[in-house]
Amino acid sequence: MTIALRFSLILSVAGLTALMGCSPDDAASTSPNSTDAVSNSEEDASATTDAAFVLGDLIPEFNPPTKEDLDKVEWMDKPVVDVYELMANRKEGEVAMMTAAEALAVRNKTPEDNRNIVSAMGTLATDGEINYSAEWNRHTSADIRNTNPLMISSSAEFDVSGLLSMGLFSFDWNFTPYGNAGSLVSWQTSSDGLMDMVVMRDDLTWSDGEKITAYDVEFSYQVIMSSAVPIPAVRSGTDQLQCVKAYDERTLVYFHFEPLATNVWNINFPIIPKHKYENTIADDPTLASSPVHVELDENPVSGGAYTISKRVRGQEIILKRRDSYYMFDGQQVRQKPHFETVRFKIIENPNTALLSMKKGELEEMMLTPEQWQSQTNDDDFYKFNTKSYALEWVYYYFGWNFRSPFFKDKRVRQAMSYAFNHQELLEKHRFGMDEASTGIFHRTSPWAPEVAPTSYQQDLTKAEDLLAEAGWEDTDGDGVLDNVVEMDSNFDGESEGSRRVPFEFTILTSNRPDRIAICELLQENLDQIGIRCNVKPVEFTTLQETMLGHKFHAVFAGWGTGADPDTSENLWTTKAIDNGRNYGCYSNPEIDKLFEQGKRELDLEERRKIYQKIHLTLWEDQPYTWLYFRNAYYAFNKSLRGYNYSPRGPYNYGPGADTIFKSAEIQ
Amino acid sequence: MKETTAASENKKSPGFWRHAWLRFRRKKLSMCALIVVLLLSLVAIFSPMIAGTRPIVCKYKGNLYFPCMAYFNADWENPIFQKDRFRKRYPKNLKEKDPDSWAVWPLIFQDPYRPVRNKEWEDRPGNPFNGGEPSSLNIFGTSKGKDVLAMMVHGTRIALLVGFVSTGIAATIGIFVGAVSGYFGGWVDIIISRIIELVMCIPSIVLILALMAVIEQPTIWHMMAILGFTSWTGMARLTRGEFLKLKESEFVAAARSIGVGPFRIMFRHILPNALAPVMVPIVFGIAAAIKVEAGLSLLGFGAPPPNPSWGTILNAGMTNYTEWWQIVFPGIAIFITILAYNLIGEGLQESTDPRLADPKD
Amino acid sequence: MAGYLIRRILLGLLTLLLITMAIYALIRYMPGNPLATDAAMMNPENMPSEEDIQRMRAAYGLDKSIPEAYAHWLTNMIKGDFGSSFAEKKPVLDVIGSRVTNTLLLTVPSLILAYILAIPIGLFSTARSGKSDERLVGVVLYMLYAIPSFIAALFLQLLFAVKLEGTAFELPLMGTKADDYEALTNSEKIWDLLEHMILPVISFTYVSLAYYSRFIKANMEEVIRQDYIRTAKAKGLGPFRIMIHHAFRNTLIPFVTLLGLSLPALLGGAIILEQIFNWPGMGQLYFRSILTRDYPVIMGLTFALSVLTLLGQLLADILYAFVDPRISYQ
Repeated sequence: MTIALRFSLILSVAGLTALMGCSPDDAASTSPNSTDAVSNSEEDASATTDAAFVLGDLIPEFNPPTKEDLDKVEWMDKPVVDVYELMANRKEGEVAMMTAAEALAVRNKTPEDNRNIVSAMGTLATDGEINYSAEWNRHTSADIRNTNPLMISSSAEFDVSGLLSMGLFSFDWNFTPYGNAGSLVSWQTSSDGLMDMVVMRDDLTWSDGEKITAYDVEFSYQVIMSSAVPIPAVRSGTDQLQCVKAYDERTLVYFHFEPLATNVWNINFPIIPKHKYENTIADDPTLASSPVHVELDENPVSGGAYTISKRVRGQEIILKRRDSYYMFDGQQVRQKPHFETVRFKIIENPNTALLSMKKGELEEMMLTPEQWQSQTNDDDFYKFNTKSYALEWVYYYFGWNFRSPFFKDKRVRQAMSYAFNHQELLEKHRFGMDEASTGIFHRTSPWAPEVAPTSYQQDLTKAEDLLAEAGWEDTDGDGVLDNVVEMDSNFDGESEGSRRVPFEFTILTSNRPDRIAICELLQENLDQIGIRCNVKPVEFTTLQETMLGHKFHAVFAGWGTGADPDTSENLWTTKAIDNGRNYGCYSNPEIDKLFEQGKRELDLEERRKIYQKIHLTLWEDQPYTWLYFRNAYYAFNKSLRGYNYSPRGPYNYGPGADTIFKSAEIQ
Repeated sequence: MKETTAASENKKSPGFWRHAWLRFRRKKLSMCALIVVLLLSLVAIFSPMIAGTRPIVCKYKGNLYFPCMAYFNADWENPIFQKDRFRKRYPKNLKEKDPDSWAVWPLIFQDPYRPVRNKEWEDRPGNPFNGGEPSSLNIFGTSKGKDVLAMMVHGTRIALLVGFVSTGIAATIGIFVGAVSGYFGGWVDIIISRIIELVMCIPSIVLILALMAVIEQPTIWHMMAILGFTSWTGMARLTRGEFLKLKESEFVAAARSIGVGPFRIMFRHILPNALAPVMVPIVFGIAAAIKVEAGLSLLGFGAPPPNPSWGTILNAGMTNYTEWWQIVFPGIAIFITILAYNLIGEGLQESTDPRLADPKD
Repeated sequence: MAGYLIRRILLGLLTLLLITMAIYALIRYMPGNPLATDAAMMNPENMPSEEDIQRMRAAYGLDKSIPEAYAHWLTNMIKGDFGSSFAEKKPVLDVIGSRVTNTLLLTVPSLILAYILAIPIGLFSTARSGKSDERLVGVVLYMLYAIPSFIAALFLQLLFAVKLEGTAFELPLMGTKADDYEALTNSEKIWDLLEHMILPVISFTYVSLAYYSRFIKANMEEVIRQDYIRTAKAKGLGPFRIMIHHAFRNTLIPFVTLLGLSLPALLGGAIILEQIFNWPGMGQLYFRSILTRDYPVIMGLTFALSVLTLLGQLLADILYAFVDPRISYQ
């Protein structure tokens, strides 16, 4: 109930940083430094900050309707859910096959073991079972730079901020959005799809005692949409809204430009206390340099279940439960958060973190596949911990650049998919634990086709035939295929004429041994059919820049899945080539059309069909060679219960970490 | 008495280098080191014949081929092994496609670039991918499926090449720059000394990382060149010192007086005399280059994959300490190689230092 | 002499300028930039608007050309403002300052240990030169010199942190402090720190130790062959008095000049070791800031290291002039 932040940000930062293969060090991503911004503009005297600060200067002109107008609108109810109850209902239908004690005695060696452990550990607490004075030691791989929820830019900050903030909306394990019953009384959408109205509860308080009102939400929106505030990460999404207006302390209306199925995701943005920032923001729009703001960052006013009690830079962050979150006027009005203290221990190196787990000092962490395979099987590990995994909708792929002379032809791309030894990848490189990927949606996703496409198996003969069809032959007898192709050596989309060239290309990957090994496998497979593939590991930042500039032939990378399938529009549409993540310059007018339709289709069944068609079309075109879906591998201390996995891991959904507890029984 | 003087008068003086060699030969440790280096060189030269999955020589369809040479240069693999679905996998295919073929195989059937798979060689199981401990098939264990011994044998080639080539480049640059600076003096000296200081102050790792990043398609040769370009400063300073000293000598004055040009004086007359002290850092430089290359591969910034350098194996070992064979064996190899070069360097130093000359020589 | 000093310092400043220019050009020329890893640029679901991208570029200083941006950095630097780190949003001097102690914790003890141990070993080697026990020591030292420090580090880690795990001899694998450091008492904290320092300091020390002992021995060998030593022996002085009172003092000065040359290593010498031991010092900072293209930090660190290097060389040259009357500077 407390998780209610930008979900696209969850995806991008938590998922993507891991995907792109940067080490935890790199994950502490960079963001513009405040003093430089100020000094730069002072230097230029072309004043952005010299001029007076304008709150919300990016908000378009708009005349909002009056309260009377609103009463005349036809409204449809949307779900306001107590997600804890929702989860409890789901659990009633699932019976655990073992008791907790039995499951903890088992070592996780087979998929069946895993199923038992996951289901036993996921059982929710019964009354009286929760130890409310317990402490939970969580792992984070980097220190946080800001506590202000608007400035979140790393997965560490997201984890911590999630406990400090409150939100109006969330989504469940099926990615169905809902309004938080802990914050809202009602949520309605206008029948023309252009407005969303919510009525907030009146028992919400900030940690300093002030009430949380609709004016805070409106203010937050205005701050996000102020150009002088350096938070573009949060702005993308909010800039899809036409306006946000608070009509009174509890009533809030969000206005959209068009009636899209994706509007529901834009209304969810972080909330900061108006009474704390409204007078100070004009002096320091960066929200991070003035003494007042620095102090606020050190001791934030939080709206969520926890407050920061202590921070030791580089070591740990200690959060304490606050009574004013679940108590109001002496009555309990919300779920009591299960832990009295949550401590985030900052340990950058995964080896050290694992050592800490083995000593029982750290109580949860995400495991690397190597750690799962060889370092968590002995008595040392099982003394205090157990481990489990679950599917996560994160897939890895070889991406082919359509601007490369080699990969314009579909037959060549299909040949690549046939040439690769998928079986060895899954059995050896992924330890037989991850599943093959057959497209952008996992087969358990509602958007995936009813009948999943058949995955590619290695067939070198077929690959050779396809290549020959596409005109690749060894005409000069040097053992390497060659062909006449259109050249575009600077990848700008403009052809430089045709030439006969040998089939030699470079595949980029980030500098991690396991990824390099997968690319070496591709190199070996292609070598057998006469193609020279060079593997170039590059630093994370170089990889990013190169992909953004489309200056590559092939790349090995991964994506997580967004809560709404429309999020992949940013990967596959033609307009996303220059202004999006379509790094490989894939362009298919049919796909463009389908995405536009999908955004607008409000009927769920029809919408499904659209995205299924997208999935199958992409699969046919093979702009990627889809490789595997990666599981989430976690180690938990034996004293923890109530954790459940979703396709975004155990935490990044509703209820997420809220159901986790420690048993009140003496161990 | 008279006879011995006569005898010793008739004996020709052996010359500086031969003299040094005679003294060198006496030092047992240095000679051992020299033999070790020669052995390593042999291993490097014959690496495809020691460990590989390609035959040393084979007869296929009536012609003689040397497939193992492909380990030196991928272009040297004959395209005939590309056709007919041969796909560069020799053992079974040779027999199947041409029953009359024969092949002479390397000592160890393992490949440094890829894991050996099931049934690739008769009925042998493939390399274990994870947790491949040293076993009868993989004497030094496996690293992500690749045989460590094969990687180390081929890695010897890289280690020695890197040592020789990069130090060669560094020596050439350093000696030239130092000579010019020392001989001409004045403004030339000041400017060049600043340049030397400049390059010295920049931490070499930074320089190497930056240069490797700038190059589009870095290969091991680029890396050797970069290593050479970042390590010439010590030799430059030494050469400069020698030239500063020697340019005041009489033979230089004599040469100048008969009109010999400056470059001829520098490289024909002075350099042979200045060379001895510079030889020593050159030999130590080889050891240093090997060390730096291993260090870079360890950090993940070595030559592009698949790179069977010793440092790459260490890199894999660093992420997984339980697989100790990935650390121990390459570590010992690096240690022995560097020790050998250092001993040679020290032996060279002692045998060329006139102050340590033994009158018995 | 004063003229020489002034000239050297001026030249040193010029070199410093050139170094910073060269490094700045190099790191800006490297592919990859800090903007590429900003969260906004990595979000797969959205792309920031053009205006926002331009604003972000300006904030990172990427909108200026390389010479312009360098001039900007230089003018600020002269005023004492090294800018703020992109990654940590704190002033560069603070960021470096917070790590200097850690690096010094590693390098200073190892420097002291190396010097203190090298002297007796060197003297011992000279006194017992040629005898079998000295040759053994010599061989061991030589072998130590040949082991690259990162190999020794890995071996030590393997032995003490992995193989000996759970025994009394176990040492921590990496880092400077245990996880529950805050909860320890003061004396426990000190002991914990020492435990964590043992392996890294050993790895850092033994190479210098081997080198310095041999250096002392080589110098002593030369000194011992001098006439005045023979005179002292002829006068009947005991071997120890000769060695320590007469000979050793003459090797001290070249030995001390070594100090000057090892000054830069105090701060920058341990990049690889700090990676292996996950030691949060300046080497690790340097490495990381290159990977994340944190330009202000890179420039700050380069500046600090270059100053030290130049100072060290100046010191060494002055001491040489002091000692050797043949060398004079006008």
